[in-house]
Amino acid sequence: MTKEVTMEEGVPWKKITLEVAERMIAAAQRWASNAGVPCCVTIVDKAGAVVALERMDGCGFPGIATNAAIGKAYTAAQACVSNYLLSKMLDPRYIGEIPGSYYIGLMTQLNCRINLIPGGEPIRDDELNVIGGVGCGGPPDAVGEISDMTVCQVAISSLYE
Amino acid sequence: MVVSLDMARRMGKAAIKKAGEMNRLCSVAVVDDRGIPIIIYRMNHTPFPTADIAYDKAWTAASFGMPSSDIVKLGNPSCPGFGFNTENYNYRLTPIAGGMPIKDGDEVTGGIGVSGATPEEDVAICQAGIAAMYS
Repeated sequence: MTKEVTMEEGVPWKKITLEVAERMIAAAQRWASNAGVPCCVTIVDKAGAVVALERMDGCGFPGIATNAAIGKAYTAAQACVSNYLLSKMLDPRYIGEIPGSYYIGLMTQLNCRINLIPGGEPIRDDELNVIGGVGCGGPPDAVGEISDMTVCQVAISSLYE
Repeated sequence: MVVSLDMARRMGKAAIKKAGEMNRLCSVAVVDDRGIPIIIYRMNHTPFPTADIAYDKAWTAASFGMPSSDIVKLGNPSCPGFGFNTENYNYRLTPIAGGMPIKDGDEVTGGIGVSGATPEEDVAICQAGIAAMYS
């Protein structure tokens, strides 16, 4: 059995543990409350199963945001790319114009569980293997300065602090 | 009274602590009165379907305001509600023990679900979580 490595030991992380997930969520929530956008943040492991989920009080569209956060994190972990890239590839307006644009049938894959709204990012270890995903729902926009994507990026950058 | 993130977090932490004391691995989910998750925690090395099952149990408990194991009563052939078990609204209805409603007086304000140990232990862990709600 491989030895589990956590951030507390001061060495790179290889696996999403509950402690790492909570630390990422705490960083994301700190940023979100400063920005004034209550949101729901989900961290999933390599399999796409939830490790930790927290929804802040006052989160907008609570039902959709929570469901979307789980779906986005799952999609990012399964596809190993940012949801932003996937949503761009699958946008019907770009058919024939960018690489991957004919993958539009991907939408119904994985029992329709994948969510293509930007706001999910894969989590990588020091060797760039995907070890999990983070998803966010709740902010009023998916791409931009104060958005789902930014919250995810804050969560991931907290790993490197 | 609405279940806030702070309360839900305390409940989840207490349930995980209780599971650690019992030497069990489990997932905990706390949902609000609409069945939407507020927190889901999965302990390290816990099998991954337990996260979803804990959510299902919490949803069942919160939506009907009764422990998830009591749902089987509604599916009993001698009971007027027979056929209920085929509804499976939202694909989340489960009769497995381990989901408990959170009540404020008579009003149901949420639900907690635990999965990973035996049903009796799951219920004990749920109760530990509910007890920590106002602490």
